[in-house]
Amino acid sequence: MSIFFIGIIIYFIGSMIATFFSEKFKVAVLSLFSFVGAVFCLKPAISVLCTGNTISKVFDFNNIFGSVSFSIDALSAFFIIVITVMSLASVIFSKGYLAEYLKLGKNINFHLIFLSMLIASMLLVVTCQNAFAFLICWEIMSLSSFFLVIFENEKKEVLKVGIKYLVFMHVSVLFIMMTFALMSIHSGSFDFNSFKNVLQNNSHLANIVFCLAFIGFGTKAGFVPFHNWLPDAHPAAPSHVSAIMSGVMIKTGIYGILRTLTWIVTPSLLISYAVLIISVISGLYGVLYAISQHDLKRLLAYHSIENIGIIGIGIGVGMLGLAYNIPVIAVLGFAGGILHILNHSIFKELLFLSAGSVYVKTHTRNVEELGGLIKSMPKTALLFLIGSIAICGLPPFNGFVSEILIYFGMFKSLSIHHFVFITIMLFAIAGLALIGTMAILCFTKAFSVIFLGMPRSESTQKVNSDSENSMILPMSFLAVLTLVIGIFPQYAFSFVIKTVNVFTEVNPKIYSEPIELMQFISLYALAFILIVLALVLLKKIVCKKKIAFFETWGCGYNRANNKMQYTASSYASPFLSMLKPLFKKVFDIEKPKKLFPKNAHFSLHVDDIEEEYLIKPLVKYDEWFLSKFESIQSGNIQSYIKYGLGFLVIAIIGSLLIG
Amino acid sequence: MLIKILNLIILLFVPFIMIGIIKKTKAFWSGKKGSPILQPLYDFIRLIKKDFVISTTTSEVFQIAPIINIVAVIFAGLFVPLASGSAIINIPAGLIVFAYTLGLGKFLSLISAMDTGSSFEGMGASREACFTTIVEPAFFILIASIMALSGNYTFDSLSKIVSSAGSYGVLIIIFAIMILFIMLLVEGSRVPVDDPTTHLELTMIHEVMILDNSGVDLALFTWANSIKMMLISSLIAKLVIPETLGCGVTILCYLAVMFLISILIGTIESSMARLRMSHVLEFVFIMSSLALVVLSLVVSTFGGV
Repeated sequence: MSIFFIGIIIYFIGSMIATFFSEKFKVAVLSLFSFVGAVFCLKPAISVLCTGNTISKVFDFNNIFGSVSFSIDALSAFFIIVITVMSLASVIFSKGYLAEYLKLGKNINFHLIFLSMLIASMLLVVTCQNAFAFLICWEIMSLSSFFLVIFENEKKEVLKVGIKYLVFMHVSVLFIMMTFALMSIHSGSFDFNSFKNVLQNNSHLANIVFCLAFIGFGTKAGFVPFHNWLPDAHPAAPSHVSAIMSGVMIKTGIYGILRTLTWIVTPSLLISYAVLIISVISGLYGVLYAISQHDLKRLLAYHSIENIGIIGIGIGVGMLGLAYNIPVIAVLGFAGGILHILNHSIFKELLFLSAGSVYVKTHTRNVEELGGLIKSMPKTALLFLIGSIAICGLPPFNGFVSEILIYFGMFKSLSIHHFVFITIMLFAIAGLALIGTMAILCFTKAFSVIFLGMPRSESTQKVNSDSENSMILPMSFLAVLTLVIGIFPQYAFSFVIKTVNVFTEVNPKIYSEPIELMQFISLYALAFILIVLALVLLKKIVCKKKIAFFETWGCGYNRANNKMQYTASSYASPFLSMLKPLFKKVFDIEKPKKLFPKNAHFSLHVDDIEEEYLIKPLVKYDEWFLSKFESIQSGNIQSYIKYGLGFLVIAIIGSLLIG
Repeated sequence: MLIKILNLIILLFVPFIMIGIIKKTKAFWSGKKGSPILQPLYDFIRLIKKDFVISTTTSEVFQIAPIINIVAVIFAGLFVPLASGSAIINIPAGLIVFAYTLGLGKFLSLISAMDTGSSFEGMGASREACFTTIVEPAFFILIASIMALSGNYTFDSLSKIVSSAGSYGVLIIIFAIMILFIMLLVEGSRVPVDDPTTHLELTMIHEVMILDNSGVDLALFTWANSIKMMLISSLIAKLVIPETLGCGVTILCYLAVMFLISILIGTIESSMARLRMSHVLEFVFIMSSLALVVLSLVVSTFGGV
């Protein structure tokens, strides 16, 4: 366990040392230290997963919060692996991405320090076993990510977004605090282990605690309706930060929910249904709004909400399995959900990094201005394509594996012949299918508008080279991971099964069937890839001389140009017009006038209905309410001393009365 | 093993004959003699031999997509119960592998259409993607409901409806056939959803997506589309053919069902025009509502709240 802390310290020291180097080498030094730190942190995590034993270390802070224990069990170990590996890829990528900003003379010292602080605090969050210390680590994590989001702090809208993020994080922390307060009142201790004994016999308390924890951690994770910060924060942050935030940081929210579950052991039906239903809604809501976005990173952010939904569906199915005491369903649900955590962090990070790679070259995130980049940036295009197919959950990539596990769990659970249950489950199955097809719509749109066809703007036309290798390398690593998990899912499954064991007893009899399924998928994926490769090769050889090149058939019109291509808006239009009431469309039209029209433009963007009808009125009301107290802030010191005195008197009288 | 090989041969070649029968039927209704039933196969062979033209706008995606699409469709076909009444690969959760492999094919054919930079092909792709989002959930609701009914998580459950649902069984089968038939019309891009023989690009869906494909690519895309049609017809066949028949009789029944469905499609195409694009959506939504009816029928067999 002490190796783990050495790793954490290396993360901290690395960023400090990196600041002393010249601009060119800073990120390289940090990458090196992150690599060493990752190795140190990975070692105990892997040994925990192999042996199945929990290791822990107790620090004694006698006077402040008593003894604080950190421990790595299978659940923590899983998250440690996700955090270290994924953030390492991002840190390496950031070299190429930050080079642009260095040219502009931007100081990146603090950025690097906060970057490693974020990684280290996430590692502490997933190992900490004391409520008090947990909150401190959680807060460091939120604050360091806040500073990372406002990297481009000279822009006003970035600051605005940053403050919105900060507010959301603190609302979330409030609920987490309430959870812990409630627990420690009942258990008399801040230690997580003591929480377990309290909740096991008290299902009423367990429900309340779980709801509070779900709101608190769910805000971090981005479950609807607490998701609103996500689509704003990601576009504002630099790409490698979005990648860490979306790929890893929001998963700490899921970790919190899972950790709460380990205290409850057998969740009640009520909360299991609630998790399943909220997750399906999150999934649908996320992908629906993703389709309507033109900002690439905003689109990806909405997809994070969708994937958190899919993870939640897995966890919900698992919880229902626990509630009904049918281990097979629990194992399949949790295995699918937890594997999807890993999968999502891989392909989402891949997609965010590719988006960053495109942004570095074109300086725009608006997909309507891109196009045809596959010719100038073939590597990025291929990597983005792999990420897109994986995120749609299509074979032979990793998304398919976790989704089929969740589906399999859902089908198995149809054997519970209960009216309400069957109805909800059938709708959940259809919901997951709908999420999948909408994701296909969204990513065929995103990929083809960015990379295919002709360039839609001059700046895109000027791009003449792919991103540098230090950016392509971590992306390729992630792409290979998606493929490896897709082709050898049986190993991925046995990798997560240790973690699933935390929630439910897993015996060989239960997982023989899923393992068989995984082995079959492995063969299937291999056969598929080999046959496709063979046919492609055959076509290359046979048809080599048969190909003639000519311009695209314009149905008789031969002056087609890039403005006549289908755009992202028009691609999504038939689908969006079908679901009109769910969006608030904002048009900006200037129609062509007179005989020789000069200026004309059209643009359309879609606002989040939650933002429009829930958050904005809420903020308005809040402002009105708080304005009533403006008179308190008089600005002279005397009255503030008066307030302080008054408060002290009330506190003394109050404590006397209660005591 | 022999039966599996037979199934595979049927999977690969019967689609040509189905298209041939549809064309023959249409010719019959319009008082013509029509081309031979095997004409689609001859066309396929001729297209493969031909040289082809590729747009200068396109990339590698355009050339690889037809191959991945056809492999995906054929692989998906391995999970569907064919002539002998059972699938070539019969695994639980075969439905998911089937649907998601088809999804991969669709993904590639959509981006290959967008690759040309043509507004017409973009239009086709956009429509196709939109319809899929309606079709797929309805299909999943239907199959999952039927699976819940029989407690069997393979496509075999399709032929167990009557034995497990009792009096509702017949109703469910009728609705299921209607749902699958609409899905067949959408996925196979037939009238009234789409008209494969129209000459106006603006009104096409599937045909306009492959506007720029020629030679081998075109052959593969049309072949994949007809296989897809046959796969959905096979599900209908599985619904209506009783399980207790012998092997030979089952195969004969299966071929008869394929024949009837082809004639039905041909007759529909001769008797009505394609719907206006805005009405197509309404037509496809019939499928979703029927799927919900099936869901409520199934759920009601498990008792009330």
